[in-house]
Amino acid sequence: MRALFGLMAAAVLCGAIISVPAQAQERSAVRPGFVLPPQSGKKILLLRPSVRVAEQSTGGMAEPRAEWTDQARENIDAALAELQRQLGNTVIAAPEAYGEDARRVAEHQALFAAVSRAVIEYQFFVGNRLPTKKRDNKAGQFDWSLGPDVGKLPGADQADYGLFLLTNDHYGSTGRKMLQIVGLVAGVGVTSGVHAGYAGLVDLKTGDLLWLNADGQMGGDVREPDGAMKRVRQLLEDFPGSAIPKEVAVAEAGPEAKP
Amino acid sequence: MIARYRLALASLALALASSVQAEPALPPPYAGAYQPQGVDEQGLWREMDEEERRYSQSDIMIRDQALNAYVRKVLCDTVGHDRCGATRVYVVRAPVFNAGMYPNGMMEVFSGLLLRVRSEAELGAVLGHEFGHFEARHSLKGLMARRSGGDAMAWAFVLANLAPTYDVVRTYRDLQLTIIGNYFRFSRDQEREADALGIAYLNTSTLRPQAAAQVWERLIGEYQADALSKGLKKPRLDRVAFYATHPPQVERATTLALLARPDGATRDDGAERYRAALAPWLPQLLADQIKLNDFGASEYIIQSLAETGWTAPLWHARGELYRMRGAPRDLVNAAEFYGQAIALDPVHAEAHRGLGLSLLKTGQRAPGQQALRRYLTLKPDAPDARMIGLMIPQEMSEP
Repeated sequence: MRALFGLMAAAVLCGAIISVPAQAQERSAVRPGFVLPPQSGKKILLLRPSVRVAEQSTGGMAEPRAEWTDQARENIDAALAELQRQLGNTVIAAPEAYGEDARRVAEHQALFAAVSRAVIEYQFFVGNRLPTKKRDNKAGQFDWSLGPDVGKLPGADQADYGLFLLTNDHYGSTGRKMLQIVGLVAGVGVTSGVHAGYAGLVDLKTGDLLWLNADGQMGGDVREPDGAMKRVRQLLEDFPGSAIPKEVAVAEAGPEAKP
Repeated sequence: MIARYRLALASLALALASSVQAEPALPPPYAGAYQPQGVDEQGLWREMDEEERRYSQSDIMIRDQALNAYVRKVLCDTVGHDRCGATRVYVVRAPVFNAGMYPNGMMEVFSGLLLRVRSEAELGAVLGHEFGHFEARHSLKGLMARRSGGDAMAWAFVLANLAPTYDVVRTYRDLQLTIIGNYFRFSRDQEREADALGIAYLNTSTLRPQAAAQVWERLIGEYQADALSKGLKKPRLDRVAFYATHPPQVERATTLALLARPDGATRDDGAERYRAALAPWLPQLLADQIKLNDFGASEYIIQSLAETGWTAPLWHARGELYRMRGAPRDLVNAAEFYGQAIALDPVHAEAHRGLGLSLLKTGQRAPGQQALRRYLTLKPDAPDARMIGLMIPQEMSEP
């Protein structure tokens, strides 16, 4: 752990300024053949979202903020329930799990994170796409699964789909913004803020990944109820059966999130 | 001029020596349930609470209640029962020498550490060191040090770009090295402080404080044995590298030996109790270590465990180690080691398995098959029973 901190420190200290520009890549996909008609009244099991809100120091380091994280968690939960109600679905929060159940949840959360990373890396990033995930390879276009064991998750027997959600936000501190301004004069590109999020829908009978949305540059300030609403709307904009107007969401968001 | 340098050096050495020998005072224990103070500490704790929620449910944890309770008891015996209440101890199945402390009081103890210490006092020395990090709030101070270093470097980079002359760039590079070097020195100083706190806990406990230095002496031995078996140059364990997060092992062993209270040398170190508590886990810990494919280190650990007497699990582990490497001469040695294990414990099924496989590979078919048959008799429901069965000719199908 401490050694890890050392490595992280080296990374933070050395790579504070250099930021990789976001690659043009796909952000979402739906499993072929999967349709979720609006107002179909499905039950969606929401697994504990991973929410992390931090302040970005002048040097670019994330300083975790407890209060912001708590607010964001609350706001996102509320926004999600409201938006799914508009879509005609019911969101049930996964019950608190113990013992074997808790381990199964933890394992599936980790599995979902790993599968999502693989999707982002080897499918959404077009230049890096695996031969089996090519667009012209119609049969296996978006074919990823967590396996049928998802059916054993606590609460899975009362729901049709499982929803996994992750957000990671670093809001630029005053110092970071000052640096950005001076950087403008000095000709150094300094970015302020990190706003990443992804959401995925999983069939609780088969474990198949039905829909995934991943975005490294999201809008909406999750610390505010309105901002959280915007963030969740963006996360769900390609949700199967979604009636959320896409253009509006994109126009509102803009390319760079303003903290 | 030179004389003045010498004087400065001498006074520096004196200051070092006196700071080394002064026994550090223990901070007051956290009263009751300590709550984090300020945005940084609260943020850090909340993040680690979330991490603990996830990590504690991971399959990497060894959940055996007896083992967890025992490790916790050793921690409490070392730091005192008024302190240890602030921590949760998790035993992690990871075959490397390490333990970790998180800012919110979560402590992880790697199974590789359990394999490498020999007594409650030695385990307590490492757990006390980790607890020292917690009580001195090192994670928080580390976060602050990284932040101020990163901030300074970011400003220097941007400002240097305003006037990118040769001199400015050179000054920037120097500053960068200074800041990075400072951060790692800061980290090493935190480790030194945690070492000092750890030995102070041990001094005030009922365990033998001299054990703390033994942990490092044995680790140095292991690193040297490992380097030797790999044909590498002897590792320099007494020098500080630029990016080292911890002080060198030789320094730690020497300092801890100096700081141990001399009148504590006669105390019990709980070696017997430790051996008894660890006995059910020893075969698995050894098997995990052997799978690291680190012949020199594994052989050193087995030999050092055998200093208090060879047992069947130790002979078996040594057989496995040699059989895994698998050169013809290793297989001959392995067969002998398995034989020793069987001599001590005739119903050690896995020893019969290893013996049989080693003999088969060295061309001794009949005795090899006999050993494998014995394995299947002793453990008919072994997971590899059918595979092993294929290596034994059935009486019926024999032509």
